[in-house]
Amino acid sequence: MRALNLFAVIITGIILIYGTQDMPDWADPRSPASTHVSPRYIEKTLEETATPNAVTSVLADYRGYDTLGETTVIFAAGISCILILRARRQER
Amino acid sequence: MFDFILSRYNYWIYIILMMIGLYAMIGKKNLIKKIIGMNIFQTAIILFFISTAAKRGGTLPIIEHAHGAHPIQAASYVNPLPHVLMLTAIVVMVSTLGVALAIVIAIYRRYNTLEEDEILNLKR
Amino acid sequence: MIAAFDLILLLFVLICAVAALSVKDLLSAVIILGAYSFFMCLLWAEMGAVDVAFTEASVSAGIGTVLFIAAVSKTKRRSKD
Repeated sequence: MRALNLFAVIITGIILIYGTQDMPDWADPRSPASTHVSPRYIEKTLEETATPNAVTSVLADYRGYDTLGETTVIFAAGISCILILRARRQER
Repeated sequence: MFDFILSRYNYWIYIILMMIGLYAMIGKKNLIKKIIGMNIFQTAIILFFISTAAKRGGTLPIIEHAHGAHPIQAASYVNPLPHVLMLTAIVVMVSTLGVALAIVIAIYRRYNTLEEDEILNLKR
Repeated sequence: MIAAFDLILLLFVLICAVAALSVKDLLSAVIILGAYSFFMCLLWAEMGAVDVAFTEASVSAGIGTVLFIAAVSKTKRRSKD
């Protein structure tokens, strides 16, 4: 059983390492992730949102609905923690 | 060849971290150890996404030229978009951690053990 | 992005991950996981993601460790593997 687990993990690792040879170089400024949409955020953040920190302006202004959904996730997690721990106590 | 290794070794170390977490999730018997493995797995994924944002020669994504004296060069700042997405992912990670630990406490109250094989024996 | 610094931090992270999974005492494993989170936070601050490093240091290394310690103190401390 232990050998089977190790086999599955190593096969997954080999497939992923095979996939890295098509990745862009590490910290390449011309990689696709840093040329497509993020230059617009960096160039326009000061005149559109008046916030010097680009991470804050994207988090709260451009993608505010993501933060709203994150708040929903935290709320659901807290409610489910309370429900799991309290239902067990009532059963005793 | 040496250049290839130098530009890829980070990705390989992230994959090794992810394999450690995956092995702990499917191979360990203790439930808390499984949750530690899940934490390592998620952190490795977040590390991979953060590393796609790095740029050689780029500084922090805080814009300095406040008065428009120079045009802003996008290549001299780190990509802010993966940072934002991973900020959300860290918070979701802690939420799943809380729910998983609550479920583990409920299992311990019911079966009085944390080992997976003992729980399966007791259920039978 | 200094390559030697980066390599040393990645090595520490790997050592912490293996140690947290191979220690038999669960409370020690949880504390080593906190050290893992702090090394990860240093790694991100070194890559230029200071906001993510802040969040990791406060949320994952702080609240996560507190949640783990609460769960371990409510349940058993010994583990078999």
